[in-house]
Amino acid sequence: MIYSSLLFIYAFFPISLAVYFFTPKKFKDISLFFFSVLFCGFFSLKFMLFMLIYTTVNYISASITYKLKWKESKYRHFKSIPFSIGILFDVTAVFIFRTDLFSSTYDLFNLPDGFFPIGISFYTLSAMGYLIDVYKGRIRAEVNFIRFGLFIMMFPRLIMCSVVSYDKFIGIWKKRKIRMSELGAGFEIFIRGLAKKVIISDNLFMMCSAIKSLDVRQISAMTAWLGITSYILCLYFTISGISDMGNGIACCFGFRFPQSFNYPLFSSRIRHFCAKWHIQIMQWFRKYIVSQFQSVVNEKYINGFTHISVMTMLGFWYGFNLCSALWGFLMGFAVVAESRLKDVKMLKSTGIIYTFLATTFLSVFLSCGTVSESLDYLWAMIGGNKVFADSLTLYLVKSYILVLLIAVYFSTDLFVNTISRIRKTRFRIIISVFSPVIEIVIFAVCTALISYNGNSDIILLKL
Amino acid sequence: MKNSNKVSAFLLIIFISALSFLTFFRHETNESLTEFPEITLENLLDDSYSKQLSSFFVDNFAGRDKWVSVSAKIKSWLSESIVNDVYISKNRLLSVDTVSMESTENSANIINEFVRNYDGTLYFVAVPTSSGVYSDMLPSYLFSTTEKQQIDTLYEQLDTSIRKIDAYNILKMLSDNYIYYRSDSKWTSYGAFCVYRTVIQKLGFMPVSYDKYTIEHITDDYKGNLYVRTQYMESKPDLLDICTYSDSSEIISCTGYDNSGMTYKKNLYERDAVDSDDMYRLYLGEKLPFIRINTSVSNNKKLLVIGDDYTSCFVPFLTQHYSEIAVVFPECMEKNLEKFINPDDYEQTLFLFGIDSLNDDIFNYMR
Repeated sequence: MIYSSLLFIYAFFPISLAVYFFTPKKFKDISLFFFSVLFCGFFSLKFMLFMLIYTTVNYISASITYKLKWKESKYRHFKSIPFSIGILFDVTAVFIFRTDLFSSTYDLFNLPDGFFPIGISFYTLSAMGYLIDVYKGRIRAEVNFIRFGLFIMMFPRLIMCSVVSYDKFIGIWKKRKIRMSELGAGFEIFIRGLAKKVIISDNLFMMCSAIKSLDVRQISAMTAWLGITSYILCLYFTISGISDMGNGIACCFGFRFPQSFNYPLFSSRIRHFCAKWHIQIMQWFRKYIVSQFQSVVNEKYINGFTHISVMTMLGFWYGFNLCSALWGFLMGFAVVAESRLKDVKMLKSTGIIYTFLATTFLSVFLSCGTVSESLDYLWAMIGGNKVFADSLTLYLVKSYILVLLIAVYFSTDLFVNTISRIRKTRFRIIISVFSPVIEIVIFAVCTALISYNGNSDIILLKL
Repeated sequence: MKNSNKVSAFLLIIFISALSFLTFFRHETNESLTEFPEITLENLLDDSYSKQLSSFFVDNFAGRDKWVSVSAKIKSWLSESIVNDVYISKNRLLSVDTVSMESTENSANIINEFVRNYDGTLYFVAVPTSSGVYSDMLPSYLFSTTEKQQIDTLYEQLDTSIRKIDAYNILKMLSDNYIYYRSDSKWTSYGAFCVYRTVIQKLGFMPVSYDKYTIEHITDDYKGNLYVRTQYMESKPDLLDICTYSDSSEIISCTGYDNSGMTYKKNLYERDAVDSDDMYRLYLGEKLPFIRINTSVSNNKKLLVIGDDYTSCFVPFLTQHYSEIAVVFPECMEKNLEKFINPDDYEQTLFLFGIDSLNDDIFNYMR
């Protein structure tokens, strides 16, 4: 049961919200935790068990690490043992499920072939960050299991949530409150995410999978460009849509998590693109991994090193293969190369275009599984197949022009800026009146679009 | 800002709760809808409960048909007109589900096994679906494997002793006629007749010509399986026809058998079906695994027909030629074929299937 399913929107979500609302303050956390476990149970019983075990292992290893570190005991030198067990457990779990290197473990635990703990890449980062923080002494280990459980597996955060460090989470947890206006704001974020996923990303997915199914050696250059453009838009709208839905639900429960994306596409610099793309994940890699190595790098190269390594890790984290890591590496490299070009005037006027071209061009590596396939695709993009456009291109443009235009418009911050500008004038009353109506309409459209299958569960990348 | 948030929260709460209330507490009794799943230890443990609950919820979702129809409209604006794997073209709906090739091989193996143990002659007809015949209406990238290729591959996989009959080219040539429903992937009675003409010659008879039949339009409001998937309002409903041959042989008896051995009296055409949900039951009525038809034809020839939905409207044409026809629907069988009949009693066997139904495990009980 993903967020964009009828059962979730019209049954699980309202019921859990109502129960949470009427629970006395003391037991609110427990009720939210209970619903999170139930939410996992809706995927499968094994997933629920896995999540509980996963949370417990991390909880225990952090508590022991903390005790060994701070209690004046003679065992303090052993504090790295429970710590490394915890980290090892998390890393192995990710590798088992994200790659097929360990497919024998599936038989060992009698798991069905399709079993995939959804969102594992995200909460593994959360859990590892927490363990590292405890180990380094930045925070105290959490005593309350329920609260820690919420940090790992609270259901609005479970699928592609924003990864925040534990002290930030506690800050958000302390500030949580249920109010009608928060609820409205939450719904707004949720509907925005739902629309991104159901209206835009699902249709774009049809287009890019149509182009993917063609023979790379025969497609025309224009079709190839359409394919990769729709892929990068689809990727953005899928991930940001799901994380917006999660954030919106969290907001309804009173938790305000930060946004994952800040309109990265169509930035005027590659640097800006990278700074706005999947913000919390990048921060995580920078804080917990890259900063450890910064001391060994020459001062002069430190920026370049950080950019390249963070992007490479992000790329690897997306695909768990070399090709997607190559995407990250090249993106990082592009940022460095860009910073060497000192203020060429040309760059100012053509910023959006060259950034778009570069990011699109490079994302071929992210979309294709192997390097040779990517090179074939790039060859097609520069017209290597000696066809510029064919009837299929025309057909695709004709069919998808509307959704492409909508996608391009809403991937920029134009709309948000216009709204906030109007809010400052005396016309703001118009927005206040119309926004609830528009929200309902969009919500109804999304409902219609998922009404046949009951859900829209394409997630493009298995994260 | 805050006030408008409150308003929208209020409106949405009403909207959501109204819809979910209607979904859970609907009092219409429609038998075809999924029942509310009961919680048992078993379905909790094998994770089927959440799937059952989800499909209950989706099936019973308040105003589902209207939602789906709206979604077809929106989809056709936003992107290419493919709604729930159905392509909406100007004058017909076409399914774009892809059928996997491997499983055709599986079916072919089972049929080969069958023919090895069978004394009579086996004839095989694989009927394309409407999207096979009208494939040129589909966007070109969906052509990657056409049904033509698929049928050819299947025919190659089948044993050489099986007489294969090419229905694809017959239907393709006649594609300007009303041989396929606009809102369904199956052929019409006329489509079945066109193939019958060739098939019956191969089986050793002279076909009855079409003008000897009286055609009766039973309904002009048939909405087929593709319509159900899209609820696309602008697609025209279809005609269901009955073809009767005035100097025909009479049907002496027509008996259906279910899996438990119960017998039912059946008709070639079940006219009441037109008033029910499933109009296609007009042909041969309620689906049963086995039907035996005895006619007044006195040539003592017996035919075994093994088929699916495509067969139901094909069988009536055969009744002019055989004194006994046994029709078997493997998809309804829950026990082996031998429990129903002995195939060797029939000197001829006709396999007649839509190519789209050969992908399932429908031959599980034919081994």
